[in-house]
Amino acid sequence: MERNKLQRVLRASWPRLVAICLLVGIWQLLVVVCVQSWGALGAGEPLPGPGDAIAEIGYLIHIGVLVPALVQTLERAAIGYALALAMGTVIGLAVVRIPVLRAGVGSLLAGLQSLPSVVWVPFAVLFLGDFAVYFVVIMGAFPSIAMGLMSSYDNVPPLTFSLARSMGARGPGYYRHFIFSATLPGYVAGMKQAWAFSWRSLMAAELIIGSTASTGLGQILDNGRTLGDLPEMFAALLAILIVGIAVNDLLFAPLERGLLRRRGLVPA
Amino acid sequence: MNVALAPRPSVVLRDADEAFVTLDGVTKVFGKGKVSMTALENVSLELGKGEFVCILGTSGCGKSTLLSLVAGLDKVTSGTIEIADGRPAVMFQEPALLPWLTVRRNVELPMRLHKVDTEERNKTVNRLLSMVGLIDFADHRPHQLSGGMRQRCALARALAQDSELLLMDEPFAALDALTRDQLHDDLNRIWQETGKTIIFVTHNVREAVRLGDRVVLMTPRPGRVARIWDVDIARPRELDSFEVSGLAHEITAQLRAGAAGNGAQ
Repeated sequence: MERNKLQRVLRASWPRLVAICLLVGIWQLLVVVCVQSWGALGAGEPLPGPGDAIAEIGYLIHIGVLVPALVQTLERAAIGYALALAMGTVIGLAVVRIPVLRAGVGSLLAGLQSLPSVVWVPFAVLFLGDFAVYFVVIMGAFPSIAMGLMSSYDNVPPLTFSLARSMGARGPGYYRHFIFSATLPGYVAGMKQAWAFSWRSLMAAELIIGSTASTGLGQILDNGRTLGDLPEMFAALLAILIVGIAVNDLLFAPLERGLLRRRGLVPA
Repeated sequence: MNVALAPRPSVVLRDADEAFVTLDGVTKVFGKGKVSMTALENVSLELGKGEFVCILGTSGCGKSTLLSLVAGLDKVTSGTIEIADGRPAVMFQEPALLPWLTVRRNVELPMRLHKVDTEERNKTVNRLLSMVGLIDFADHRPHQLSGGMRQRCALARALAQDSELLLMDEPFAALDALTRDQLHDDLNRIWQETGKTIIFVTHNVREAVRLGDRVVLMTPRPGRVARIWDVDIARPRELDSFEVSGLAHEITAQLRAGAAGNGAQ
């Protein structure tokens, strides 16, 4: 039983392991090439390799910087994401249920989604103080949630709504058993995309807003830049990448997969 | 075969004092002005309680439109539809099962929506699932079922709505002949057990003759009632029995004549 599980995990994850090895290999190769050419040119600090970055991560954990920063950043991400989720859901629902809003707000949402949320940083810093980081995350993430809900609603077969009407579904029951349930796959896909957007926005915000807010992963990266500490920068970069992937793979991907499997949209 | 279930004397039902469903001069026009299309014109029909009426016609004769009007999914342009008892249950050509719910959950959905308490709900669902032969599949999801089983599930769900009137819109059209034949038997049995009033829309002449107390033939563009046949053939009927084939032939001939007449206009 245990053995089977291990085999299954291995079978499922080997393409990813190969990809990671390949990436690390390329990185190392680049470092070797750069060190040689830079050495010949006599320029700057050498590019840190994967080994250096991982060692630096160990060091940052050891001196008690990385873990509190990670916790701080994740807390911001969680709060910002939760607010974006609430806002995106309310707006998305309003847009699909109220035709006038749909005509007016629908295209605006698509525009907002394509607007890099970094552009909100200057405004947020000036007017919103400590809330600035959350604001940027919300602006980055909520359009994806609302859009996910909208496009999912458009893809519900009309027959489903006819069915609801013929059953006399109304009020909370109608929302629960039809609207929410029917749009769930698209909603979760939107949630997944919103996570990517919110994580990006948060990093941009932390980088730019810098040390006024308490230390997060973005500040470690910024700190590395200020001090010209390349290994620290790469350690922060690696940590940011790992968190982004981990949240997606451990939270959203299984959620989406389970959902689709139960509905028979992917083979069991 | 259940000997205890005697053939129902449909005549008596039809001659009952009050009609259960009354359509009076029902007309439906889609669109406006030059682009308008009259789907139904002056359709009048009365159904007695417990009667099984088949609406027969080629595609585009407005029979599905008629059904969605009776179901309250669309509004008549003129005329009236009266139903003696509440909201009818509808069964569509596609099963329209909710893919995120198990068979049991799908069937109990109408009762959940109308806040039937858990105990009664479970009892009813079990009874209905046994009735349509799906009790062993209660925890399956729709995608794990065959086409015939999905329609059985949809039938159970329609019955769970506890409406006296059941509207069926070509529910077996997408099934293979063998499965359809079984479902005909089952529907006939269930109708006799439950005493529902059924309006069954189909383009299949034999299906109409096999199932209906009456067969209402409609002509297309605009949809009108062409002729109504009483089907006084003992139940349960066989699809290829002499009587069913005979009447089916007669109706088919009329259908062809109507189509030819229509084409000549």
